[in-house]
Amino acid sequence: MIKLNNIFKQYISNNEKIIALDHISFTIAKGDLVVLKGASGSGKSTVLSLIASLTKPTSGDIEVKNTKISKLSDNFASTFRQQNIGFIFQKYNLIPNISVKDNIILPLIPTNPDELFVNSRANSVMKLFNIEHKQNIIVRNLSGGEQQRVAIARSMINDPDIILADEPTANLDEALSLDFIKTLKELKDLGKTIVVATHDPLFFELDFVTKTINMKNGHIVE
Amino acid sequence: MLKLNKYLIEFAINSILRDKTKNIFIFIVFSLLIFILSSVFLVTSSLQKELNLTADSLPDIIVQKMSAGRISAINTDIADEILQIKGVTNAIPRVWGYYYFENAGINFSVVGIDQFETQYKNSLKQITQQYDFSDLDDFMIVGKGVKKVLEQNYYKDYFNFIKPNGDFKKIKIKAVFNDNLTLESNDMVLVSKDTAYEIFGIDEDKATDIVVNVANPVEVKTIAYKIKMMFPDTRVITKEDLKISYTNIFNYKTGIFLSLFIVSLFTFFMIIYDKSSSLSSQAKREIGILKALGWKTDDILKEKFYESFLLSFISYIVGVGVSFIYVYILQAPLLRDVFMGYSVLKPPFELIFSCDIKTFALIFFLSVPIYIAATIFPSWRASIVDADEVIR
Repeated sequence: MIKLNNIFKQYISNNEKIIALDHISFTIAKGDLVVLKGASGSGKSTVLSLIASLTKPTSGDIEVKNTKISKLSDNFASTFRQQNIGFIFQKYNLIPNISVKDNIILPLIPTNPDELFVNSRANSVMKLFNIEHKQNIIVRNLSGGEQQRVAIARSMINDPDIILADEPTANLDEALSLDFIKTLKELKDLGKTIVVATHDPLFFELDFVTKTINMKNGHIVE
Repeated sequence: MLKLNKYLIEFAINSILRDKTKNIFIFIVFSLLIFILSSVFLVTSSLQKELNLTADSLPDIIVQKMSAGRISAINTDIADEILQIKGVTNAIPRVWGYYYFENAGINFSVVGIDQFETQYKNSLKQITQQYDFSDLDDFMIVGKGVKKVLEQNYYKDYFNFIKPNGDFKKIKIKAVFNDNLTLESNDMVLVSKDTAYEIFGIDEDKATDIVVNVANPVEVKTIAYKIKMMFPDTRVITKEDLKISYTNIFNYKTGIFLSLFIVSLFTFFMIIYDKSSSLSSQAKREIGILKALGWKTDDILKEKFYESFLLSFISYIVGVGVSFIYVYILQAPLLRDVFMGYSVLKPPFELIFSCDIKTFALIFFLSVPIYIAATIFPSWRASIVDADEVIR
């Protein structure tokens, strides 16, 4: 499903070269729930960005669903993302001054969809994550937990096969974090392939996690 | 058939409403600029049309008597001698002048008319055909503006002219003419030639000037030269001279506004430059989020196009709409006076409708597409950067 082959990623920040990933390789099978574990700056978020094709590797190949996404042009990468990836960001990355429903349907807009289809998809994911009653509320007026549910619902609106979550519980208390873990289990049960980047210990002992990849300074460590 | 993306348009409208303060500011500046430009163009276009019509109705040649460098009354006999020149179709002595109405502080153009004479211009010919002038000794026909001013000063049916010797000459209003040439006829008072002589105190063998019409327009200059040679103490003005003089005054005033136009455009382009060279971090982040959610660069540019088009086009329509109300309903207060200059001493007149589509197209192409480009360009720059870089 997801193959990273000898990935090297280097950023330039303030004229300084920073190595984010140093020749890493791993494979994730369909339906797996993989946890990328490591401290801040270990390269976890970069791996997610590469799988989502939000950035390109400096060298190496990434194959997702048999497509070499590291070779895709910007527009094809966007289309690929729109069709296959649901991304839950650490800071949710919602648009704060529009409603819950308007945020959730954002990934569908480029497809110029029918109103019926949009409403049925939006209602279904809002129901799934219990935010149907908040659909007309402006997002900035929601609590952190509610905002996270909106972010998850948005990541599911296009029914993606792959869900990527970057530090999803960083801004949540323990109760909400456990709720989120429960949601992940439900998504896994639906057959989704899930990759979670986190340093939250709550994820490390979960029995439904297929694989944990430990990262440090851009390397995979045992 | 291309199906419009309803959700993309809705998102664009939402984006405008989300940034209310900034967009209201842009809307006001944009509409104001369009309003000023189109008002100036509408007023100039209206006055230009008026002046062109007036100039076209002018006689080919006007002969004035000069004495000590000033215009004085001319002998009517000269008209008969001018008529002898080959190519001259008519030479008519005119009795006319300005009558200052002290109460209102304005001038009327009083024109003496003789129904049985050849009229030197079409508008007078039409009036003489329309009204019975047989008893015009005690009556007058006035322009709309004159009628309005007289009514404001309680002269409903008549007016008392004060003759040079201080006596009153009471003249009743017979009719109000509704001429197409507002600027020319608005301040006009038509009386019989005898009455005009009386009001101005001119001897009956004299006239204010003599108007000459020539059969072949090519010969006007030659005939004007001949008249000048025959009567060296006269000033001979051709229609072309008058047109040039009108145009010079008009162009001078248009020039002032052209400077204003350039200053406004400069300000507009400064705003545009500022807008095109930067994008707020919030706007960049939003573009990054949309890219991360699967929006292509094209989708983002389309959304930005709808957003900037809606804002600029609505501002354009409002600016143009308000300028039409300002010019044709409110009659362009302040602006009209600047263009009219000396004519503040004349009765008020209405700006005639004149709308040049090309001018509005020019204003449109100088504003709306430039604003759209200035909005799209920085968005394009933000959207080609890795989404990962923008949202981190």
